[in-house]
Amino acid sequence: MSRFFATGSDSESEESLSFEEAPPKASGGNFKQSLLLSDDEEDTKRVVRSAKDKRFEELTNLIKTIRNAMKIRDMAKCLEEFEQLCRAFLKSKNIVDKEGVPSFYIRLLADLEDYLNQLWEDKEGKKKMNKNNAKALSTLRQKIRKYNRDFEAEITSYKENPQESADEEEEKEEDDSEGSSSESERDDEDGVSAKSFLKKKPEGVSEASKFLKSAKESGDESSSSDDDDDGEGWGEDTEESGSESSGDEEGKSKSLATVFLKKTAGPDRPSIKKSEKKKKIQKVRLEEEQLEGEGEEGDGPWEKVKGGVPLLKEKPKMFAKGTEINTAVVVKKLNEILQARGKKGTDRAAQIDLLHALAAISNENNLGQGILVKIKFNIIASLYDYNPNLAAFMKPDMWKKCLDCIDELLDILFENNNIFIGENIAEDSENLAVSEQQPFRVRGCILTLAERMDEEFTKIMQNTDPHSQEYVDNLKDEGRVCGIIDRLLSYMENKGSTEEICRVYLRRIMHTYYKFDYKAHRRSLGLQGETKSEQDQEESEGEDSAVIMDRLCKFIYAKDRTDRIRTCAILCHIYHHALHSRWYQARDLMLMSHLQDNIQHADPPVQILYNRTMVQLGICAFRQGMIKDAHNALLDIQSSGRAKELLGQGLLMRNMQERNAEQEKIEKRRQVPFHMHINLELLECVYLVSAMLLEIPYMAAHEFDARRRMISKQFHHQLRVGERQPLLGPPESMREHVVAASKAMKMGDWRTCHSFIINEKMNSKVWDLFPETQRVREMLVRKIQEESLRTYLFTYSSVYDSISMQTLSEMFELEIPTVHSIISKMIINEELMASLDQPTQTVVMHRTEPTSLQNMALQLAEKLGSLVENNERIFDLKQGVYGGYFNRDQKGGYQQKQSYQRDQKGSYQQKQGGYQRGGYRNQNQGGY
Amino acid sequence: MKGDAPKAEKCITKFFPPFSGVDQHRLMSSRKESTSTSVAAMASTSGTLDSPVKQIQIEGLVVLKIIKHYQEEGQGSEVVQGVLLGLVVDDRLEITNCFPFPQHTEDDADFDEVQYQMEMMRSLRHVNIDHLHVGWYQSTYYGSFVSRALLDSQFSYQHAIEESVVLIYDPIKTAQGSLSLKAYRLTPKLMEICKEKDFTPEGLKKASIGFENMFEEVPIVIKNSHLISVLMWELEDKSTAADKHELLNLSSSNHLEKSLQLLMDRVDDLNQEIVKYNTYSRNLSKQQQQKHQYIQRRQQENAQRQSRGEPPLPEEDITKLFKPPQAPPRMDTLLIAGQINNYCQNVKEFTSQNLGKLFMAEALQGHN
Repeated sequence: MSRFFATGSDSESEESLSFEEAPPKASGGNFKQSLLLSDDEEDTKRVVRSAKDKRFEELTNLIKTIRNAMKIRDMAKCLEEFEQLCRAFLKSKNIVDKEGVPSFYIRLLADLEDYLNQLWEDKEGKKKMNKNNAKALSTLRQKIRKYNRDFEAEITSYKENPQESADEEEEKEEDDSEGSSSESERDDEDGVSAKSFLKKKPEGVSEASKFLKSAKESGDESSSSDDDDDGEGWGEDTEESGSESSGDEEGKSKSLATVFLKKTAGPDRPSIKKSEKKKKIQKVRLEEEQLEGEGEEGDGPWEKVKGGVPLLKEKPKMFAKGTEINTAVVVKKLNEILQARGKKGTDRAAQIDLLHALAAISNENNLGQGILVKIKFNIIASLYDYNPNLAAFMKPDMWKKCLDCIDELLDILFENNNIFIGENIAEDSENLAVSEQQPFRVRGCILTLAERMDEEFTKIMQNTDPHSQEYVDNLKDEGRVCGIIDRLLSYMENKGSTEEICRVYLRRIMHTYYKFDYKAHRRSLGLQGETKSEQDQEESEGEDSAVIMDRLCKFIYAKDRTDRIRTCAILCHIYHHALHSRWYQARDLMLMSHLQDNIQHADPPVQILYNRTMVQLGICAFRQGMIKDAHNALLDIQSSGRAKELLGQGLLMRNMQERNAEQEKIEKRRQVPFHMHINLELLECVYLVSAMLLEIPYMAAHEFDARRRMISKQFHHQLRVGERQPLLGPPESMREHVVAASKAMKMGDWRTCHSFIINEKMNSKVWDLFPETQRVREMLVRKIQEESLRTYLFTYSSVYDSISMQTLSEMFELEIPTVHSIISKMIINEELMASLDQPTQTVVMHRTEPTSLQNMALQLAEKLGSLVENNERIFDLKQGVYGGYFNRDQKGGYQQKQSYQRDQKGSYQQKQGGYQRGGYRNQNQGGY
Repeated sequence: MKGDAPKAEKCITKFFPPFSGVDQHRLMSSRKESTSTSVAAMASTSGTLDSPVKQIQIEGLVVLKIIKHYQEEGQGSEVVQGVLLGLVVDDRLEITNCFPFPQHTEDDADFDEVQYQMEMMRSLRHVNIDHLHVGWYQSTYYGSFVSRALLDSQFSYQHAIEESVVLIYDPIKTAQGSLSLKAYRLTPKLMEICKEKDFTPEGLKKASIGFENMFEEVPIVIKNSHLISVLMWELEDKSTAADKHELLNLSSSNHLEKSLQLLMDRVDDLNQEIVKYNTYSRNLSKQQQQKHQYIQRRQQENAQRQSRGEPPLPEEDITKLFKPPQAPPRMDTLLIAGQINNYCQNVKEFTSQNLGKLFMAEALQGHN
């Protein structure tokens, strides 16, 4: 028996164990029913077979696998099996000595060698083989060559006379009325043994003949009661075909007669059912047997579940009537059900139903909470299993079931303080039985289940069309998810370990950080909500999300030992701060965490979170009027042009060369659900406007600077796009608005600029998305006025000899002190060559700025300088490092000139070096 | 005003020496002894060169036609082109007529230029006008005409019709008061190179061609019939001096700025070319080194083998092992250099004229 259960031997032992436990107390009334399901009965009977049979059986089995592997060209498998075969053959040495080498063995050796040689010749095929297979092929080839030397005589004789063995085969085939090649290697069969019949069944056979056979055989067998053979047949069945789902309904057949009727009725059924039929025959047989020896059938029902798992679902009842239902029995049952898990053809829905039924039974029988918890765990697990594919998302209704289950589970856990659950509890140390002293101990981790549930929720959201009602409906469940997490959190706080608490905290944080806390916001605005209804007030009673975030995050900072959870917590914390306009906290946290330095080593989801946080930080800075910070924070994301992708808010259209379907799937799984998205247009607008506020004055100040750097490439790109437009209509899109505003600002026309940036279109598109719309708009107007003033001064200072601050303040609608401070700053920074005349409140221009022609000449000079340098390099290459005296001479002279010019321009810092260098060279020249 | 003029002068001397310096530098660095500027060089060399055409005589009609063509068709930096017709008398090329090319527009991409020319010339022959093709003309924008396109088309002209010339008309200078019309031909050396299409550094070196001797300028004489001359004289008597005021225009910055802008662009281009060449020569020397090492290793090994009595390693084709890197074509560099030279001449000419005018103005001011 164990031979056939080589892969699942432990289940075997359990099974027999249950045997002993099960009380032999089955009434005749329910017997029939249970009988139908019980077909493992024969396991109990042990029949002594000849050693020869046993050994040869083993060999034939191995040979069969090898043939199968040959058919599918699985060389690795072939090799493995061949090695086993050799070992098995060695074991059966003494029998072989007695009986001679079995011809089927020789046949295999010969065939295998031929086959390998043929494969070896086939260069094309070999190339296509994967590495493992190719390796296995060469090893196997060498092995079999060596091995076959021992059997040379037999093989040659076989090759000379393959007819003989073929004849033998034919005989057999006649008996079996089957032509499948897999049997050919079985020589040891004695006539029309039931075993051979059963064996052959799984392969393609004509239905009708089989039926006849089986009918006949069943008659024979029932009398001969060759149970051992039957058992083998079963073993094979389960091993090979795993399950026979389609034929299940037949298990219901109540009597021998019906079984036969069914069979005759459908002789053309697909071959999958063959095995089913076989079973039925056996069942019939069993029935007879059991009629004789009723003593054993009590335990029967349990075993049969094992053999043919799918049968379970037709069972109207879990247990035989009258079976005493106790913890052990239920656990046993549970194990049986679980065994089918993951097997091909197992009906997962049925399994879930079974588990539910089991839960109900255990509940009815008051088996205690321990077992219930265990069953619940398994129900949830199989709910998750329902989808075989990890990439696919759960059906929302399935997921809701799961949600209910987790809820119930939590209920139980809260009600019963004496239940310990944990992953670390070993299966055998579980304590499920009700007892006074000992608490329940159940293996399983509620946290993992909840996390999985949360992930499934994300997946569902990812796979729902965000613009449909369905999405809204699904999103409503988020509250329940949060509720569960909250309950879990309070449970874990009492029972869980630190790590678990950290994990559940992170879950909580993940569900909190992106939500804007309107209650707190309202409260901070001075409790305008007083007039609101009672419900509203009640709502606002709750803890501020900021406080919660703070508490949870700080716990994680202190206690977490896995870097990932802490990183996520920090990022979420920053995000939350930024979202609620606590700029300084957010910035400080970001700077203190040093995340910028090592975020590129994190995994993509964390990087996406980081990007989201940076963007939120930038937007926060913008709201606070820190234009430069906003620009810097957004620069990385925006300059790549892949903001969408970086924020996990959608995939960019790219050709398939850059990523294959597999990668695309992975990327899709990383997407952030729609309700957490950051508005990309808002992001771009914020970026462009900050770029405009920085870039336009800068451009005006450095109009003639040859080595002027762009602050924002993207902004320039937009400007260029705007310039390329052949016909300039009124702006439509957000970008066009910004471009038009930039153009107005370049002229210092702040009013037009203002009207382009802040108008109804832009309000509805962008500005209204901010929580404090009005404040942001005011800030923006102010910034526009200031920067326009600066731009105006840069651009037109050469036109003025002096300008009154009064006029400026009127032009830009700024107070005189502001104008004063702006101009002072410009003078200090040496951006504006002017001085303030205090008594008259005027700005007096120094007019030291070079004219455009002079600027041009300077630029040219610089360009020529680099030209000369490049030229010198060629000379260096040609004549060694000392490229001639005159070169240096000239260079020195030239640089001196250059530095002189630069001095004139009035910006000293970087140019000083050049001056010194020139001087140095001059001194050197004296030495030459 | 009195104070201003010297200041301006100072200003210019302050800012412009880099040009001459660099210019000089480049001249010296390329080891060319010639210090004379190109126009002079061209003029002087053209006499000595063995060229079929030593002088060009243009009808006033042709000049007017060219000017009119630009006035009507060309705007801003757009370039107009046309065909010159005439005949060769001794060593003198007489250009007696011309006709314009139509401006290219996008919708007549399949316009057949050759067909048009043939048609045109046939029609002219029918009305008994000179119809021999002797070259072509082109307008220019601030003296930028030295380009690959010009080189190519002039080459094909000169290849087919030996005496053909290209007339460059500068409308901007003309607008400032002095007609600017110049005739150029490719030097025989350049013709050789273009024929062989060998623009590698070695090829150019062998031909000893620099940007100065790519083109030769041919002196132009404008000739009118006596009747026209008489008419002109009469008209000149009647005209007042006011018509020539633009000659005395003192403003300079606009023209200079444009020139500098163009000059800068060219310098940028040249810079790029130099960088390209630099990489090339670095690669080349690196490879030379590798080659050298390889050969040495080979020799050592062979020596060892000999001492051990083994046969030497078979000879391998070293050139196959080390393919020399593709040399960047140098023609563009030459053209850019020529163009820069051209701009510099322009600027120089313009500034010297303007300086003169400024001094004159100052003197006048002082006199008053």
